[in-house]
Amino acid sequence: MSKVLAISEAVDRFVPNGVGLVTVGGMHLHNNPMALIREVIRQDRRIKRLLTSPCGALNADLLIAAGMIDEIATSYVGFEHIGLAPCFRRAVEGGTVKVLECDEAYITHGLYAGAGGLPFIALPKGIEFTDIPKVNKENYSFTTDPFTGNQVPVGAPLKPDVALLHAYEADTHGNAVVAGGHFVDRYMALASKTVLLQVEKVVSTEEISKHPQGTTIPGFLVHAVVEVPGGCYPTASHGAYQFDDQEIVRYMNAAKDDNGAKEYVREFVRDTPEHEYLHNAAGRLSELRYGDGSLPVALSDRKM
Amino acid sequence: MGMDPYLSPYRIGKCEEAMTASSNEYSLPFSRNELMAVELANRLRNDDVTVMGTASAIPQVACRLAQLTHAPDLYSIAGGTCSVNPHLGPVVSSCCDYDLLRADTSLSLNDVVLLEGRADVLTVFFAGGLQIDAYGNCNLVSVGDYAHPALRGPGTVGLPFLSRVGRVLIYTQSHNPRTFVEKVDFLSGPGFLRGPADWKAADLPGGGPQLVITPLCTMGFDPDSLRMRLETVHPGVEVEQVRAATGFELIIPDSVPVTPEPTSEQLSIIRTIDTNGLLKGK
Repeated sequence: MSKVLAISEAVDRFVPNGVGLVTVGGMHLHNNPMALIREVIRQDRRIKRLLTSPCGALNADLLIAAGMIDEIATSYVGFEHIGLAPCFRRAVEGGTVKVLECDEAYITHGLYAGAGGLPFIALPKGIEFTDIPKVNKENYSFTTDPFTGNQVPVGAPLKPDVALLHAYEADTHGNAVVAGGHFVDRYMALASKTVLLQVEKVVSTEEISKHPQGTTIPGFLVHAVVEVPGGCYPTASHGAYQFDDQEIVRYMNAAKDDNGAKEYVREFVRDTPEHEYLHNAAGRLSELRYGDGSLPVALSDRKM
Repeated sequence: MGMDPYLSPYRIGKCEEAMTASSNEYSLPFSRNELMAVELANRLRNDDVTVMGTASAIPQVACRLAQLTHAPDLYSIAGGTCSVNPHLGPVVSSCCDYDLLRADTSLSLNDVVLLEGRADVLTVFFAGGLQIDAYGNCNLVSVGDYAHPALRGPGTVGLPFLSRVGRVLIYTQSHNPRTFVEKVDFLSGPGFLRGPADWKAADLPGGGPQLVITPLCTMGFDPDSLRMRLETVHPGVEVEQVRAATGFELIIPDSVPVTPEPTSEQLSIIRTIDTNGLLKGK
């Protein structure tokens, strides 16, 4: 059965309004599933809690700009070398979005625990000497190690209701190839109840099965496949195009205050259907395509 | 937005404090960033396995330079893509860049996070912070009261790993009293905690911070008090400038040498790697 859906139908069917925990794939300005995120905003599907990868970026900040989330579990939201994420910063300073303070190791191990049905996961020594477990008792705790009798830090399992992820290509069943960096997207797919996948292109199962070891997300975990070439824009899509630092700076400038952020969201998201948004971005996308010197996807997709 | 001193703790390029620090900035045949990369490279060993995180162009260059000079067997891992020994250049701004996967091999992020748990494989981590305190503790989370922050930072990412790595090398583009504080407002990357008694009691697997490099100077840690101690000042920088730019009582030895200038060989290698001139600055 084909899982390929129009983007509006995929979000309508699988992202209920008021959904509990949504996780968004990609890391820094790379492989952010922006088309799915924009569609969630267009359809006004409010999210109680968002979970980012160890480094969230526009995937989190745009949802905050649109006023879509109440809480965020994260270890970082920012634009790396370009600067801080304006809406995350303002929302946390102003107390309008609650942060569940996490670190990279917990997000990674917590997803593993969620994927495997582990009741909790022990964390390596060190986190207890930071202030993080003191401010996030929902995700971090301590227990006695039955083997040594020592007190050890532990993390709660992360079990997202919905994962919004990007992959380079997939077949109609959702068997997907992730080009370039995998970040923690695969564990997001493993840990989540529902997985929506946006891809640069849908290819045949014959094509996909030429490299089963490079096909790191199996179709049985995936509920919907949406074909949106350019859909990570203005973030990078590994194997296809680089992020657009000009557009990120334009967003940062526009989102300097709440009204500016709302106006940006209205103009570029709410009032612009996804196909039109991508049509408008086509010129920049062609300039941002990785050149001939870049890695061919076939060489970069062999590691999970 | 360039006026915000907190905008990006790792921002490459123009650093106002550094620009005004030295009257002969433009007469030096190298940039501050290049000097920092060389000084980091000089601290790396042939048997190191290094890890770097967010916005790590300077440590990327340091590791590649070390590999091409005195440390050919060094391994470096670009956290993010988790590529092992990326074949720079050009140097890239993002630790997650697709081009970093032009490398010897790559791990998954889960693999790297797993290895960061056990303290005996990865020997060097490059760290930084919105705030760095007298004991080398780092803060990337928030300035002021956590519940009502004066400044919300991006978040800590992997900084808790500082407690488990052999040597922590701290680098920052900002040397001013807001960044260098007596005590971090939020501890998100452990240094020597609150000093010798605390550090001993914690019995952490890592060796703690070894070096802090800024646009003005290099600093180490006094072995008895575990407080930051000035090691060298960069060419053209006065000791007094460093003291004034530091928000805690920095240990200053009687004699402070000048940071050695990069050799022409080192500079020539850097410019072969950094073909986009990311480290050139102004």
